[in-house]
Amino acid sequence: MSAVHADRESVVRDGRPVDARSYASAILNILDDAAEEKAQLADTQRAALNILDDFSDEKARLAHVQKAILNILEDFDVEKNKVEQINREMAAEIAERKEAEEGLRQANAAADAANRELEAFSYSVAHDLRAPLRSMDGFSNALLEDYGDQVGAEGKTYLTNVRDAAQQMAQLIDDLLALSRVSRAELRRERIDLAGIARSVLARLQTMDPDRSVQAVIPEEVIASGDPRLLGIVMENLIGNAWKFTSQKPRARIELGHRPEAGRSVYFVHDNGAGFDMAYVQKLFGVFQRLHSAIEFEGTGIGLVTVQRIIHRHGGTVWAEGEVGHGATISFTLEEAT
Amino acid sequence: MNEKVILLVEDNASDEALTLRALKKSGVKNEVVVVRDGAEALDYLLGAGVHPGRAPADLPAVVLLDLKLPKIDGLEVLKRLRANEMTKLLAVVILTSSNEQRDLVEGYSAGANSYVRKPVEFTEFAEAVSQLGLYWILLNEAPPPLGG
Repeated sequence: MSAVHADRESVVRDGRPVDARSYASAILNILDDAAEEKAQLADTQRAALNILDDFSDEKARLAHVQKAILNILEDFDVEKNKVEQINREMAAEIAERKEAEEGLRQANAAADAANRELEAFSYSVAHDLRAPLRSMDGFSNALLEDYGDQVGAEGKTYLTNVRDAAQQMAQLIDDLLALSRVSRAELRRERIDLAGIARSVLARLQTMDPDRSVQAVIPEEVIASGDPRLLGIVMENLIGNAWKFTSQKPRARIELGHRPEAGRSVYFVHDNGAGFDMAYVQKLFGVFQRLHSAIEFEGTGIGLVTVQRIIHRHGGTVWAEGEVGHGATISFTLEEAT
Repeated sequence: MNEKVILLVEDNASDEALTLRALKKSGVKNEVVVVRDGAEALDYLLGAGVHPGRAPADLPAVVLLDLKLPKIDGLEVLKRLRANEMTKLLAVVILTSSNEQRDLVEGYSAGANSYVRKPVEFTEFAEAVSQLGLYWILLNEAPPPLGG
Protein backbone atom coordinates (compact mmCIF):
# COMPACT_ATOMS: atom_id res chain seq x y z
CA MET A 1 0.00 0.00 0.00
CA SER A 2 2.58 2.37 -0.80
CA ALA A 3 1.86 5.57 -2.69
CA VAL A 4 3.78 4.14 -5.66
CA HIS A 5 0.78 1.97 -6.79
CA ALA A 6 -1.91 4.64 -6.41
CA ASP A 7 -1.64 6.00 -9.97
CA ARG A 8 -2.45 2.72 -11.64
CA GLU A 9 -5.43 1.33 -9.82
CA SER A 10 -7.99 4.05 -8.98
CA VAL A 11 -11.73 3.28 -10.20
CA VAL A 12 -14.24 5.88 -9.09
CA ARG A 13 -13.62 9.27 -7.72
CA ASP A 14 -16.36 11.49 -6.42
CA GLY A 15 -19.16 9.17 -7.68
CA ARG A 16 -18.04 9.14 -11.30
CA PRO A 17 -16.69 6.13 -13.11
CA VAL A 18 -13.10 6.27 -13.75
CA ASP A 19 -10.73 4.10 -15.57
CA ALA A 20 -9.07 1.20 -14.01
CA ARG A 21 -6.06 3.22 -13.24
CA SER A 22 -8.21 5.83 -11.62
CA TYR A 23 -10.10 3.16 -9.71
CA ALA A 24 -7.02 1.59 -8.53
CA SER A 25 -5.78 4.93 -7.57
CA ALA A 26 -9.04 5.64 -5.72
CA ILE A 27 -8.74 2.40 -3.76
CA LEU A 28 -5.24 3.25 -3.04
CA ASN A 29 -6.43 6.59 -1.84
CA ILE A 30 -8.97 4.92 0.42
CA LEU A 31 -6.35 2.63 1.61
CA ASP A 32 -4.17 5.60 2.06
CA ASP A 33 -6.89 7.31 4.07
CA ALA A 34 -7.39 4.20 6.14
CA ALA A 35 -3.70 4.04 6.74
CA GLU A 36 -3.82 7.63 7.76
CA GLU A 37 -6.72 6.89 10.10
CA LYS A 38 -4.81 4.02 11.43
CA ALA A 39 -1.78 6.17 11.91
CA GLN A 40 -3.91 8.76 13.63
CA LEU A 41 -5.38 6.09 15.82
CA ALA A 42 -1.91 4.87 16.57
CA ASP A 43 -0.99 8.42 17.35
CA THR A 44 -4.00 8.76 19.61
CA GLN A 45 -3.17 5.43 21.15
CA ARG A 46 0.39 6.52 21.63
CA ALA A 47 -0.82 9.78 23.08
CA ALA A 48 -3.11 7.89 25.40
CA LEU A 49 -0.27 5.60 26.32
CA ASN A 50 1.89 8.61 26.88
CA ILE A 51 -0.79 10.08 29.06
CA LEU A 52 -1.03 6.81 30.92
CA ASP A 53 2.73 6.78 31.12
CA ASP A 54 2.73 10.28 32.48
CA PHE A 55 -0.02 9.31 34.85
CA SER A 56 1.97 6.43 36.23
CA ASP A 57 4.97 8.75 36.53
CA GLU A 58 2.77 11.11 38.48
CA LYS A 59 1.49 8.21 40.48
CA ALA A 60 5.01 7.09 41.20
CA ARG A 61 5.96 10.61 42.15
CA LEU A 62 2.90 10.84 44.33
CA ALA A 63 3.78 7.55 45.92
CA HIS A 64 7.24 8.90 46.47
CA VAL A 65 5.89 12.05 48.04
CA GLN A 66 3.56 9.95 50.10
CA LYS A 67 6.47 7.80 51.19
CA ALA A 68 8.45 10.93 51.99
CA ILE A 69 5.55 12.24 54.07
CA LEU A 70 5.25 8.92 55.78
CA ASN A 71 8.97 9.03 56.45
CA ILE A 72 8.63 12.49 57.86
CA LEU A 73 5.71 11.32 59.96
CA GLU A 74 7.75 8.36 61.08
CA ASP A 75 10.68 10.63 61.89
CA PHE A 76 8.27 12.85 63.75
CA ASP A 77 7.07 9.85 65.74
CA VAL A 78 10.64 8.93 66.56
CA GLU A 79 11.33 12.49 67.62
CA LYS A 80 8.13 12.56 69.59
CA ASN A 81 9.10 9.34 71.34
CA LYS A 82 12.50 10.78 72.06
CA VAL A 83 10.96 13.92 73.56
CA GLU A 84 8.56 11.81 75.57
CA GLN A 85 11.45 9.66 76.76
CA ILE A 86 13.37 12.80 77.76
CA ASN A 87 10.28 14.12 79.53
CA ARG A 88 9.92 10.85 81.38
CA GLU A 89 13.58 10.90 82.30
CA MET A 90 13.32 14.48 83.49
CA ALA A 91 10.25 13.68 85.53
CA ALA A 92 12.09 10.72 87.02
CA GLU A 93 15.10 12.91 87.76
CA ILE A 94 12.92 15.58 89.34
CA ALA A 95 11.26 12.90 91.45
CA GLU A 96 14.67 11.52 92.34
CA ARG A 97 15.92 14.97 93.24
CA LYS A 98 12.85 15.62 95.33
CA GLU A 99 13.45 12.34 97.07
CA ALA A 100 17.08 13.28 97.65
CA GLU A 101 16.00 16.67 98.99
CA GLU A 102 13.52 14.98 101.27
CA GLY A 103 16.27 12.60 102.40
CA LEU A 104 18.57 15.56 103.03
CA ARG A 105 15.83 17.36 104.93
CA GLN A 106 15.26 14.29 107.08
CA ALA A 107 19.00 13.89 107.67
CA ASN A 108 19.20 17.55 108.67
CA ALA A 109 16.24 17.17 110.99
CA ALA A 110 17.88 14.10 112.52
CA ALA A 111 21.15 15.99 112.92
CA ASP A 112 19.29 18.90 114.51
CA ALA A 113 17.53 16.52 116.88
CA ALA A 114 20.84 14.85 117.74
CA ASN A 115 22.39 18.26 118.32
CA ARG A 116 19.55 19.30 120.59
CA GLU A 117 19.92 16.05 122.47
CA LEU A 118 23.67 16.59 122.80
CA GLU A 119 22.97 20.13 123.94
CA ALA A 120 20.49 18.91 126.57
CA PHE A 121 22.91 16.18 127.63
CA SER A 122 25.81 18.63 127.96
CA TYR A 123 23.59 21.02 129.86
CA SER A 124 22.62 18.30 132.31
CA VAL A 125 26.25 17.21 132.65
CA ALA A 126 27.34 20.78 133.27
CA HIS A 127 24.72 21.27 135.98
CA ASP A 128 24.18 17.93 137.66
CA LEU A 129 27.43 15.99 137.51
CA ARG A 130 29.50 18.50 139.39
CA ALA A 131 27.23 18.86 142.43
CA PRO A 132 27.99 15.39 143.91
CA LEU A 133 31.71 16.00 143.38
CA ARG A 134 31.43 19.27 145.25
CA SER A 135 29.88 17.33 148.15
CA MET A 136 32.64 14.71 148.10
CA ASP A 137 35.34 17.34 148.09
CA GLY A 138 33.58 19.74 150.46
CA PHE A 139 32.66 17.24 153.16
CA SER A 140 36.02 15.47 152.96
CA ASN A 141 37.54 18.86 153.56
CA ALA A 142 35.13 19.52 156.44
CA LEU A 143 36.15 16.19 157.99
CA LEU A 144 39.81 17.08 157.63
CA GLU A 145 39.28 20.51 159.16
CA ASP A 146 36.92 19.59 161.97
CA TYR A 147 37.94 16.02 162.82
CA GLY A 148 41.44 15.79 161.37
CA ASP A 149 43.00 14.95 164.71
CA GLN A 150 40.59 12.03 165.19
CA VAL A 151 41.12 10.24 161.86
CA GLY A 152 44.87 10.07 162.17
CA ALA A 153 47.53 10.42 159.48
CA GLU A 154 46.25 7.52 157.42
CA GLY A 155 42.66 8.79 157.62
CA LYS A 156 43.85 12.18 156.42
CA THR A 157 45.55 10.53 153.42
CA TYR A 158 42.34 8.70 152.56
CA LEU A 159 40.33 11.88 152.72
CA THR A 160 42.91 13.63 150.60
CA ASN A 161 42.60 10.81 148.05
CA VAL A 162 38.83 11.31 147.95
CA ARG A 163 39.35 15.00 147.34
CA ASP A 164 41.93 14.38 144.61
CA ALA A 165 39.58 11.95 142.87
CA ALA A 166 36.67 14.39 143.03
CA GLN A 167 38.81 17.15 141.58
CA GLN A 168 40.20 14.89 138.87
CA MET A 169 36.68 13.93 137.87
CA ALA A 170 35.59 17.56 137.84
CA GLN A 171 38.49 18.26 135.47
CA LEU A 172 37.40 15.36 133.27
CA ILE A 173 33.85 16.70 133.12
CA ASP A 174 35.11 20.17 132.26
CA ASP A 175 37.38 18.82 129.53
CA LEU A 176 34.62 16.67 128.04
CA LEU A 177 32.26 19.63 128.09
CA ALA A 178 34.90 21.72 126.36
CA LEU A 179 35.29 18.98 123.75
CA SER A 180 31.56 18.83 123.10
CA ARG A 181 31.38 22.62 122.99
CA VAL A 182 34.06 22.62 120.30
CA SER A 183 31.83 20.39 118.16
CA ARG A 184 28.76 22.51 118.74
CA ALA A 185 30.40 25.92 118.34
CA GLU A 186 29.90 27.90 115.18
CA LEU A 187 33.10 28.45 113.24
CA ARG A 188 34.00 31.90 111.96
CA ARG A 189 37.28 32.62 110.24
CA GLU A 190 39.31 35.68 111.05
CA ARG A 191 42.88 36.78 110.61
CA ILE A 192 44.58 36.01 113.90
CA ASP A 193 48.08 36.05 115.36
CA LEU A 194 48.99 32.70 116.91
CA ALA A 195 52.20 34.17 118.34
CA GLY A 196 50.25 36.67 120.43
CA ILE A 197 47.99 33.91 121.77
CA ALA A 198 51.00 31.70 122.56
CA ARG A 199 52.71 34.53 124.47
CA SER A 200 49.63 35.19 126.62
CA VAL A 201 49.21 31.46 127.36
CA LEU A 202 52.86 31.26 128.39
CA ALA A 203 52.53 34.36 130.56
CA ARG A 204 49.57 32.81 132.37
CA LEU A 205 51.41 29.51 132.88
CA GLN A 206 54.40 31.41 134.22
CA THR A 207 52.18 33.21 136.77
CA MET A 208 50.78 29.92 137.99
CA ASP A 209 54.21 28.35 138.11
CA PRO A 210 56.57 31.23 138.93
CA ASP A 211 59.55 29.00 139.82
CA ARG A 212 59.90 27.56 136.34
CA SER A 213 62.24 28.96 133.75
CA VAL A 214 61.35 28.16 130.16
CA GLN A 215 62.99 29.49 127.03
CA ALA A 216 60.22 30.53 124.64
CA VAL A 217 61.08 30.84 120.95
CA ILE A 218 58.17 32.68 119.40
CA PRO A 219 58.32 34.81 116.23
CA GLU A 220 57.04 38.39 116.27
CA GLU A 221 53.93 37.29 114.40
CA VAL A 222 52.42 34.02 113.20
CA ILE A 223 49.39 34.95 111.12
CA ALA A 224 46.69 32.37 110.52
CA SER A 225 43.10 32.35 109.35
CA GLY A 226 40.74 30.64 111.74
CA ASP A 227 38.24 30.91 114.56
CA PRO A 228 39.87 33.04 117.29
CA ARG A 229 38.18 31.31 120.21
CA LEU A 230 38.77 27.77 118.92
CA LEU A 231 42.39 28.45 117.97
CA GLY A 232 42.81 29.95 121.45
CA ILE A 233 41.83 26.52 122.81
CA VAL A 234 44.32 24.88 120.41
CA MET A 235 47.20 27.08 121.61
CA GLU A 236 46.08 26.66 125.23
CA ASN A 237 46.37 22.89 124.83
CA LEU A 238 49.55 22.73 122.75
CA ILE A 239 51.52 25.30 124.75
CA GLY A 240 50.05 23.84 127.96
CA ASN A 241 51.24 20.36 126.97
CA ALA A 242 54.67 21.65 126.05
CA TRP A 243 54.86 23.43 129.40
CA LYS A 244 53.78 20.28 131.24
CA PHE A 245 56.07 17.83 129.44
CA THR A 246 59.16 20.02 129.81
CA SER A 247 58.61 20.37 133.58
CA GLN A 248 61.34 17.83 134.35
CA LYS A 249 63.89 19.39 131.97
CA PRO A 250 66.46 21.71 133.49
CA ARG A 251 66.66 23.72 130.25
CA ALA A 252 63.13 23.72 128.93
CA ARG A 253 62.50 25.15 125.51
CA ILE A 254 59.16 25.75 123.76
CA GLU A 255 59.01 26.90 120.16
CA LEU A 256 56.16 28.11 117.99
CA GLY A 257 56.75 28.39 114.26
CA HIS A 258 55.37 28.01 110.78
CA ARG A 259 56.62 27.07 107.33
CA PRO A 260 55.10 26.80 103.87
CA GLU A 261 54.60 23.24 102.68
CA ALA A 262 52.75 22.04 99.57
CA GLY A 263 51.15 25.45 99.06
CA ARG A 264 49.80 25.82 102.57
CA SER A 265 51.07 26.95 105.96
CA VAL A 266 52.15 24.36 108.48
CA TYR A 267 52.13 25.62 112.08
CA PHE A 268 53.97 23.75 114.80
CA VAL A 269 54.64 23.77 118.53
CA HIS A 270 57.89 22.08 119.46
CA ASP A 271 59.28 21.27 122.90
CA ASN A 272 62.35 19.50 124.22
CA GLY A 273 60.41 17.69 126.95
CA ALA A 274 59.59 14.08 127.77
CA GLY A 275 58.58 13.26 124.19
CA PHE A 276 56.95 9.97 123.27
CA ASP A 277 57.56 6.72 121.45
CA MET A 278 56.45 7.03 117.80
CA ALA A 279 55.09 3.46 118.10
CA TYR A 280 52.18 4.92 120.07
CA VAL A 281 51.60 7.99 117.93
CA GLN A 282 48.10 6.77 116.94
CA LYS A 283 47.04 6.76 120.60
CA LEU A 284 47.86 10.44 121.03
CA PHE A 285 44.65 11.59 119.37
CA GLY A 286 42.25 9.12 121.04
CA VAL A 287 39.86 10.21 123.80
CA PHE A 288 41.18 9.36 127.29
CA GLN A 289 44.38 7.94 125.76
CA ARG A 290 47.48 8.88 127.65
CA LEU A 291 51.10 7.98 127.08
CA HIS A 292 52.20 9.02 130.56
CA SER A 293 50.97 7.93 133.97
CA ALA A 294 49.15 10.46 136.13
CA ILE A 295 52.08 10.34 138.55
CA GLU A 296 54.54 11.41 135.84
CA PHE A 297 52.31 14.07 134.29
CA GLU A 298 48.74 14.83 135.22
CA GLY A 299 46.07 15.15 132.56
CA THR A 300 42.80 13.77 131.32
CA GLY A 301 43.76 12.71 127.79
CA ILE A 302 41.20 14.94 126.17
CA GLY A 303 43.36 17.92 125.19
CA LEU A 304 44.79 16.61 121.92
CA VAL A 305 41.41 15.16 120.89
CA THR A 306 39.97 18.63 121.33
CA VAL A 307 42.85 20.09 119.29
CA GLN A 308 42.28 17.52 116.56
CA ARG A 309 38.57 18.23 116.41
CA ILE A 310 39.18 21.96 116.10
CA ILE A 311 41.75 21.47 113.35
CA HIS A 312 39.41 19.11 111.48
CA ARG A 313 36.61 21.62 111.77
CA HIS A 314 38.90 24.08 109.97
CA GLY A 315 39.48 21.49 107.24
CA GLY A 316 43.09 21.00 108.30
CA THR A 317 45.25 18.12 109.53
CA VAL A 318 47.22 17.62 112.71
CA TRP A 319 50.08 15.24 113.32
CA ALA A 320 52.71 14.54 115.96
CA GLU A 321 56.36 13.60 115.95
CA GLY A 322 58.41 12.76 118.98
CA GLU A 323 61.23 10.85 120.55
CA VAL A 324 61.37 9.60 124.11
CA GLY A 325 63.39 12.02 126.21
CA HIS A 326 63.96 14.43 123.34
CA GLY A 327 60.67 16.24 122.98
CA ALA A 328 57.68 16.39 120.73
CA THR A 329 56.39 18.45 117.81
CA ILE A 330 52.71 18.88 117.08
CA SER A 331 52.10 20.29 113.60
CA PHE A 332 48.87 21.38 112.00
CA THR A 333 47.35 23.07 108.98
CA LEU A 334 44.18 25.12 108.88
CA GLU A 335 43.10 24.46 105.31
CA GLU A 336 42.67 21.52 103.02
CA ALA A 337 45.58 20.39 100.87
CA THR A 338 45.41 21.75 97.33
CA MET B 1 27.77 45.51 159.38
CA ASN B 2 24.21 45.91 158.16
CA GLU B 3 21.46 43.66 159.40
CA LYS B 4 20.07 42.64 156.08
CA VAL B 5 19.65 38.96 155.34
CA ILE B 6 21.21 36.95 152.56
CA LEU B 7 18.71 34.89 150.59
CA LEU B 8 20.10 31.58 149.38
CA VAL B 9 17.98 29.88 146.71
CA GLU B 10 19.35 26.34 146.64
CA ASP B 11 17.67 22.94 146.22
CA ASN B 12 20.74 20.80 146.90
CA ALA B 13 21.09 20.14 150.66
CA SER B 14 24.85 19.50 150.41
CA ASP B 15 25.48 22.70 148.51
CA GLU B 16 23.37 24.53 151.07
CA ALA B 17 25.43 23.10 153.95
CA LEU B 18 28.71 23.91 152.20
CA THR B 19 27.60 27.45 151.37
CA LEU B 20 26.52 28.08 154.96
CA ARG B 21 29.80 26.64 156.21
CA ALA B 22 31.80 28.86 153.90
CA LEU B 23 29.83 31.97 154.89
CA LYS B 24 30.26 31.19 158.57
CA LYS B 25 33.99 30.67 158.13
CA SER B 26 34.39 33.95 156.30
CA GLY B 27 32.89 35.77 159.30
CA VAL B 28 29.64 36.91 157.69
CA LYS B 29 27.26 37.20 160.65
CA ASN B 30 24.11 38.12 158.73
CA GLU B 31 21.18 35.79 158.79
CA VAL B 32 20.99 33.50 155.79
CA VAL B 33 17.47 32.61 154.69
CA VAL B 34 17.33 29.44 152.62
CA VAL B 35 14.54 28.66 150.16
CA ARG B 36 14.55 25.48 148.10
CA ASP B 37 12.84 26.26 144.84
CA GLY B 38 11.96 29.14 142.54
CA ALA B 39 8.35 29.40 143.65
CA GLU B 40 9.39 29.74 147.28
CA ALA B 41 11.96 32.37 146.35
CA LEU B 42 9.29 34.46 144.60
CA ASP B 43 6.91 33.99 147.53
CA TYR B 44 9.55 35.23 149.89
CA LEU B 45 10.69 38.20 147.83
CA LEU B 46 7.32 39.35 146.55
CA GLY B 47 5.71 38.93 149.97
CA ALA B 48 3.18 36.16 149.43
CA GLY B 49 2.60 32.49 150.23
CA VAL B 50 4.79 30.92 152.90
CA HIS B 51 6.54 34.17 153.91
CA PRO B 52 3.68 36.61 154.41
CA GLY B 53 5.22 38.05 157.60
CA ARG B 54 8.09 39.77 155.83
CA ALA B 55 7.65 43.44 155.02
CA PRO B 56 7.80 43.73 151.22
CA ALA B 57 10.23 46.66 151.29
CA ASP B 58 12.62 44.78 153.57
CA LEU B 59 14.66 43.08 150.92
CA PRO B 60 17.78 40.93 151.36
CA ALA B 61 21.23 42.44 150.82
CA VAL B 62 21.78 39.90 148.07
CA VAL B 63 20.08 36.87 146.54
CA LEU B 64 22.35 33.91 145.79
CA LEU B 65 20.38 32.22 143.05
CA ASP B 66 20.94 28.73 141.64
CA LEU B 67 19.77 28.23 138.05
CA LYS B 68 18.50 24.69 138.05
CA LEU B 69 15.67 24.70 140.55
CA PRO B 70 12.43 22.75 141.06
CA LYS B 71 9.09 24.32 140.01
CA ILE B 72 10.35 27.67 138.69
CA ASP B 73 13.96 27.80 137.49
CA GLY B 74 16.43 30.48 138.47
CA LEU B 75 16.27 32.33 135.19
CA GLU B 76 12.50 32.69 135.41
CA VAL B 77 12.78 33.86 139.05
CA LEU B 78 15.24 36.52 137.90
CA LYS B 79 13.01 37.69 135.06
CA ARG B 80 10.01 38.02 137.39
CA LEU B 81 12.08 39.94 139.94
CA ARG B 82 13.26 42.35 137.26
CA ALA B 83 9.71 42.82 136.01
CA ASN B 84 8.50 43.79 139.48
CA GLU B 85 8.82 47.43 140.50
CA MET B 86 9.80 46.45 144.07
CA THR B 87 12.58 44.02 143.21
CA LYS B 88 13.88 45.31 139.90
CA LEU B 89 17.05 46.73 141.51
CA LEU B 90 17.61 43.90 144.02
CA ALA B 91 21.15 42.48 143.92
CA VAL B 92 20.96 38.99 142.42
CA VAL B 93 24.05 36.82 142.02
CA ILE B 94 23.73 33.63 140.02
CA LEU B 95 25.62 30.93 141.91
CA THR B 96 25.50 27.75 139.92
CA SER B 97 27.37 24.65 138.71
CA SER B 98 27.61 25.42 135.04
CA ASN B 99 29.53 27.92 133.03
CA GLU B 100 27.72 27.03 129.82
CA GLN B 101 27.75 30.03 127.54
CA ARG B 102 23.97 29.83 127.23
CA ASP B 103 23.54 30.21 131.00
CA LEU B 104 25.93 33.14 131.15
CA VAL B 105 24.29 34.98 128.27
CA GLU B 106 20.75 34.33 129.48
CA GLY B 107 21.66 35.12 133.08
CA TYR B 108 23.19 38.49 132.30
CA SER B 109 20.50 39.27 129.73
CA ALA B 110 17.83 38.70 132.37
CA GLY B 111 19.59 41.23 134.59
CA ALA B 112 21.91 39.29 136.90
CA ASN B 113 24.33 41.52 138.83
CA SER B 114 26.98 38.83 138.84
CA TYR B 115 27.56 35.23 137.80
CA VAL B 116 29.71 32.90 139.88
CA ARG B 117 30.40 29.29 139.06
CA LYS B 118 30.56 27.01 142.09
CA PRO B 119 34.02 25.44 142.10
CA VAL B 120 34.23 21.72 142.92
CA GLU B 121 37.31 22.22 145.06
CA PHE B 122 36.06 23.32 148.48
CA THR B 123 38.85 25.78 149.22
CA GLU B 124 38.01 27.63 146.02
CA PHE B 125 34.29 27.30 146.70
CA ALA B 126 34.66 28.71 150.21
CA GLU B 127 36.79 31.53 148.86
CA ALA B 128 34.18 32.40 146.24
CA VAL B 129 31.28 32.36 148.72
CA SER B 130 33.28 34.29 151.27
CA GLN B 131 34.17 37.00 148.76
CA LEU B 132 30.57 37.19 147.62
CA GLY B 133 29.31 37.57 151.19
CA LEU B 134 31.85 40.22 152.07
CA TYR B 135 31.41 42.17 148.88
CA TRP B 136 27.61 42.29 148.84
CA ILE B 137 27.25 42.84 152.60
CA LEU B 138 30.17 45.13 153.35
CA LEU B 139 31.20 46.90 150.19
CA ASN B 140 28.17 47.16 148.05
CA GLU B 141 25.72 50.05 148.61
CA ALA B 142 22.26 48.61 148.15
CA PRO B 143 19.76 50.51 146.01
CA PRO B 144 17.24 52.63 147.98
CA PRO B 145 13.89 50.92 148.71
CA LEU B 146 11.39 51.22 145.88
CA GLY B 147 7.62 50.97 145.80
CA GLY B 148 5.87 49.61 148.89
